[in-house]
Amino acid sequence: MKVSFPHMGNAYIALSSLLSNLGAEVIVPPRPTRKTIDIGALHAPEFVCLPFKVNLGDNLRSLQMGADTLAMVSGMWACRFGYYGRVQHQILHDAGFEFDSILLGREGIRTVYEKFRPTIEGNLALGWYRAFRHFRRKAVAVDKLEVKTREIRPYEIERGSTSRTLTDGLSLVHEARSLDRIDAALLEATGLLDDVELDRDREEPLRVAVLGEIYAVLEPSLNFDIERRLGEMGVRAFPVMSVYKWLFRPLKTDPRITIEEYRARRIAKPYIAYVLGGEEHQTISGTINAARNGYDGVLHLYPFTCMPENICRTILPRIESDFDIPVLNLCLDEHASPTGIATRLEAFVDLLRQRRRKRARAQVPPL
Amino acid sequence: MSRHTGRRLLEDGVRHCVDDICIPVKLFYGHVLDLSDRVDYLFISRLVSVEKCEDDTYTCPKLIGLPDMIKGSLTGLPPIIDFVVDVQNMSLKSSVKKLADSFGVTGSRVKRVLDAALEVERRYQAELLRGVPPEEAIDIVLSNGGGNGSGSKAGPERTGGGDLNIALVGHEYLIFDPFISHNIPRKLERLGANVSFITQVPSAVIDRELARYPGISWSYEKELLGAASHFLSHDDIDGVMLVVGFACGPDSIIGEIITREVRTEKSPPLITLVLDEHTGEAGVATRVEAFIDLIRRSRTRIPSTRPDPD
Repeated sequence: MKVSFPHMGNAYIALSSLLSNLGAEVIVPPRPTRKTIDIGALHAPEFVCLPFKVNLGDNLRSLQMGADTLAMVSGMWACRFGYYGRVQHQILHDAGFEFDSILLGREGIRTVYEKFRPTIEGNLALGWYRAFRHFRRKAVAVDKLEVKTREIRPYEIERGSTSRTLTDGLSLVHEARSLDRIDAALLEATGLLDDVELDRDREEPLRVAVLGEIYAVLEPSLNFDIERRLGEMGVRAFPVMSVYKWLFRPLKTDPRITIEEYRARRIAKPYIAYVLGGEEHQTISGTINAARNGYDGVLHLYPFTCMPENICRTILPRIESDFDIPVLNLCLDEHASPTGIATRLEAFVDLLRQRRRKRARAQVPPL
Repeated sequence: MSRHTGRRLLEDGVRHCVDDICIPVKLFYGHVLDLSDRVDYLFISRLVSVEKCEDDTYTCPKLIGLPDMIKGSLTGLPPIIDFVVDVQNMSLKSSVKKLADSFGVTGSRVKRVLDAALEVERRYQAELLRGVPPEEAIDIVLSNGGGNGSGSKAGPERTGGGDLNIALVGHEYLIFDPFISHNIPRKLERLGANVSFITQVPSAVIDRELARYPGISWSYEKELLGAASHFLSHDDIDGVMLVVGFACGPDSIIGEIITREVRTEKSPPLITLVLDEHTGEAGVATRVEAFIDLIRRSRTRIPSTRPDPD
């Protein structure tokens, strides 16, 4: 069984570890590029949201690379994401590809559990347990590296050195095959990041919360690697979501995530009274929290026609004035250009710098 | 009530909305703005779920968040009466009670009012099933308000003398808004087609058709899917028009499911028309005419391809 799945930030590291421990041969498609998005958009419905098109492009690439099984989560939510697997796989079948689908959620856990019966050696439950442990260990390791990178990037002396080191570190973790090796790889990667040359004397970097639709926030090919761009402009980016949280939120194994979800819903309640099926509560509460914690600004990312985030986008200006925090809305689609994004980011960062200086002046008592 | 949709109203709505939201929400904004300086209270219902069944059902994120959007983005509005319909978690009766409490109305009067309202709704649905467009149906139902319940005979009979039967599938707020849909039903009738509406498909038929396509949680999209499946498997129907609003999230998925899963080689022709605030009348007219022409042409060609007796 040659299994493949679409990309979502660095989730592929943990996911491919899960699947290969279940005995499947994993085919990881190349990281999505503009080309992937173009192929996806060619086959996708006209005004479906952008993640659909990227995922479809990823799937096409995997099939060209010889995958015979495509995995996707699926569900009955108010958001379109729940229908991605079903419609994408139908489109691919119509395009003439032959493959098997694993739709986690729609077919129930049981069928997926049984699907790996022939590939797992020995006890089935034990095999799943082992796979899950690897999966979690890798997800945690990747998360730690991402957090560390975010911290040091604004201080780097050679532009791009942190990101390069992160890529090396991630591939170390990706290649580790046992739990011990994963720990060792994490240690080594952390060491590599520690060795990046930094200039700690720089002025305190601007702090910007990055939030919005989860795929737009986490997938660098979609948001033109916004975290890196910000970091290299000397801004500390704080994504409200992370791949780790995204993977473990539905599993409910980490109480911290559940509590955070609950808190977010409570904070967002006055603005959004009902669950809309997306990350709307994280967007609203993230903006409010950013203001309360003294961040300099908020970057709101969402794909064109995203339903929950469009509602947030409508409400955010009110929060912007209620809590006095600047918000930049960036709508991403297959026609967005890196230059357009860069220009807007630079202007936004300039404004934030000015705002901070003005505030600092206001605090210094006149002579 | 707000006035009919017009250019001014649409432009107002578009100006106060986020750019890439769907066209119905833009229209809704227009209607709210049209009302805002004429009334003391605004009644906005929040449709969270409208049917009770085993699986989770929703309407659409935008309908669930509609009052939040209005409250969060428009200023100078009269107070909003937020009527929550969430049949999955709260019966219609208790939502009405909650609403009545905010008016200071209690007791048996609530039940009486609700019963009367449901009775009117039942007769309205009956009119719709006969093929009467919603606006006329409302007039008919409300004009004999005390009502004998037997439905009126005053409505125009819709079994016209056209030679084609075209089914219109799409959300009611698009098809039956003459401004935004450029009056597609009239256009079809003028071209000599009999129009069947999505509202004419009884819910039992929709449920039966849906059994073949499970796993959809949007109630209104289920209606579209069921109706489309009904029309596409019907021999009397010569063509199906799927009318969707630009940037409508659920429609983008359901449209794809309809064209890929529901349509077969034996189905009548299917056309998808996308409406937005820029759609020019001429564009819609051309597409409708071309669709009708092609159906007529394919009809005349079938006899000619038969082998000649000689």
